[in-house]
Amino acid sequence: MKTTAFLAWITLSAAAFGWTEHFTFENIATPPGMDPQVGAMDCMPDGRIAVAFHRGEVMFLNPTDNSWKLFATGLQEPLGMLVEADGSVLVMQRAELTRLKDTDGDGSADEYETVFDDFGMSGNYHEFAYGPARDTEGNLFIVLGVASNGAPMAPEIRGEFSEIGQVDFKGMITRETWGKNKNTAGRMYARVKWRGWVLKISPDGKKMEPYASGFRSPNGIGFDAKGRLLITDNQGDWRPTSPLYDVRRGGFYGHPASLVWKEGWNGGDPRLMDVGKLDAMQVPAAGFFPQGELANSPTWPVIIPAKGFPEGMAGQTVIGEMNQPNLVRVLDDEVGGVFQTALIPMFDGSPLGIGNNRMVFGNDGAMYVGKTALSWAGGKGITRIKWNGKEFLSLEKIKALPKGFALRFSQPLDSLTIKTLAVKRHTYQYHQAYGAPKKNEELLVVGGATLSEDGMTVTLDVGALAERYLHLIDMTGLLSQEGGKILGNKAWYHVVKAPK
Amino acid sequence: MLDQMVVGPSLVEMRSLYDGKPDDFVNWSIAPQKKRPSVIDMPSMVHVGEEGLRAIYAHVMQVSKGVVAKKQEKGDPYAAAPTHLARPQVMRIFMPDAGPASIAVALDDINSLCWDAGICRLRFAWTGGFIDGFPYWQGNGSSLAKVLGTVKYTEQASPFGKDAAVKFLGYKVKGGLPVFRYKAGEKMVTESYSPVSGGMGFVRSFSVVTTAPLVLDFPDQSGVSVTADKGKLAGGKFTLTPAEAAAFTLTYSLK
Repeated sequence: MKTTAFLAWITLSAAAFGWTEHFTFENIATPPGMDPQVGAMDCMPDGRIAVAFHRGEVMFLNPTDNSWKLFATGLQEPLGMLVEADGSVLVMQRAELTRLKDTDGDGSADEYETVFDDFGMSGNYHEFAYGPARDTEGNLFIVLGVASNGAPMAPEIRGEFSEIGQVDFKGMITRETWGKNKNTAGRMYARVKWRGWVLKISPDGKKMEPYASGFRSPNGIGFDAKGRLLITDNQGDWRPTSPLYDVRRGGFYGHPASLVWKEGWNGGDPRLMDVGKLDAMQVPAAGFFPQGELANSPTWPVIIPAKGFPEGMAGQTVIGEMNQPNLVRVLDDEVGGVFQTALIPMFDGSPLGIGNNRMVFGNDGAMYVGKTALSWAGGKGITRIKWNGKEFLSLEKIKALPKGFALRFSQPLDSLTIKTLAVKRHTYQYHQAYGAPKKNEELLVVGGATLSEDGMTVTLDVGALAERYLHLIDMTGLLSQEGGKILGNKAWYHVVKAPK
Repeated sequence: MLDQMVVGPSLVEMRSLYDGKPDDFVNWSIAPQKKRPSVIDMPSMVHVGEEGLRAIYAHVMQVSKGVVAKKQEKGDPYAAAPTHLARPQVMRIFMPDAGPASIAVALDDINSLCWDAGICRLRFAWTGGFIDGFPYWQGNGSSLAKVLGTVKYTEQASPFGKDAAVKFLGYKVKGGLPVFRYKAGEKMVTESYSPVSGGMGFVRSFSVVTTAPLVLDFPDQSGVSVTADKGKLAGGKFTLTPAEAAAFTLTYSLK
């Protein structure tokens, strides 16, 4: 995770006003005296909201009276949680995946069972651990962040050290010479095992498969409604802007540090490899969050449930965001078997604010947003968001076409306003440097915009789509037939594969 | 913030650093690096572009003109959290002189210890207070917790031998105190701790499942006297029958 820090006030995206006419945003009081930064959330079988805080407490929020009950303490930077059917709680902390169990039924965890800890720790602050996400067969997926050259490794590490790299072990642990070594160590490094990897863990925790590589600071992992394993990552080195990935077995997802742990790896220091070769190896992002506009530090994906939010959003994925004052809604598309997405701001211009690290839907249909800063810019506490049942205009579906897009909306459109639709696109350069400006930005000529008979689908002709380009569809000028403004006024569609 | 450092420098401090130096400001924004040990490194703002950064520079210089910086509040705002004050307690955190998977344990108001889950053994024990975790929590893991008190005992190696393969299995909490579970070689071990009543030291209780006599390493240590309720302690070795190994206790009195 990271932030735009002092420049957080630069919000370049136009805020869409009107969310508060349809949703309420309520800040919930956190336990007195405690650091209220939220690292993980899930919903208990009985409807209570389980929350893990920055300093290691796990507490249950009773949503009916907003009271808190302490369940567990002393965890180290919990950044993921999965409640199990029997009420035990899986928590991913720095050193391990832990199952918290209340074996004596007194309401507090008395057993902290180590489910999986067979991965390395260098002691570097940036080695965060995220997950778990569970597939339909009960397998657990975790993903491990890599270390930052903002600091060396600790003198003692856990696990094996990789000799692949320009700085030897002594250089990697010596603070006094770090100023000299840090640049050759790599902006982010993975000198202990499985950093930058997704690990698939069997339901009993006894077997592990290194599942996919190439991650940097993946502060979001979860399955979508169609069973795709989605992972977000943060803009940085080898990340021109923050990506969303559809993660498949054996895939390499762009950040090379992790490759030193690939079985049989003989490519030397991966960051010194030819960039073109690395680019050819990587799986393209299913979505891109443009930095400074939509998201600078995307977080956890969750599925919008069938009840509580507008029906047309049910089953869609929504992702948190640390530095822009919004969440991000994901619209799926598939072209030739390739999953690709349009990403849309949600709750922009609302009282939500920044620091939106974790979300969970309660049994009451409300969304609970847990905030954190973790010493970067962000927020704290919990915001409960409820829909008041009043419908509004939003983009519900998008489909890439050979010459543009089909856009399906939640309400019939004012046909006069579809002429305001505008489309731009740009791409990014994949390189070792930290972030990247937009490249080859161009405004597309809208050759035509036709409205379906029911007034809810626009077919937009902008000519052939360009692969590996992020297409921005600006819908700011759209109005519904009843004159309502659109909420979520921009959609960034990453064309991985263009329809023929 | 305009007049107070939070994550990065305030706009007032930026003015003091970059007034009349727009090129330096742009260069810093593109490649800021980590400048201060106690805070996180700031990411690049390259995506804004030079034109945008120069516009930001102009804005920063304008709004910070004539503004005086406020002093930053120091100290842990959550030091009095009930979960921090609880005794006993178990806290996983980066500790000095230990591995990164270490666990700090406050046995009572006086006695504390560091147990390393990475290598499944006691690292050291101290008296006087617990830990100050604020450097760790504030710096997001870039600093270690501080030991509050005096280290009175340091264990140099696992009693099960330096090369014993270990596997941490977790811990149970009884009355706030930990019962660690792990495998040492093929032996299943539980190891629990409690304070010496009213004094400086700790009681360490083991349960080891073994069919053969158990021989543990216990080199003499200065600053501590150890007594056992079972077995034979002599010459740096501690020998127990399988029946004795099933439940035995060592009491460490610290000076």
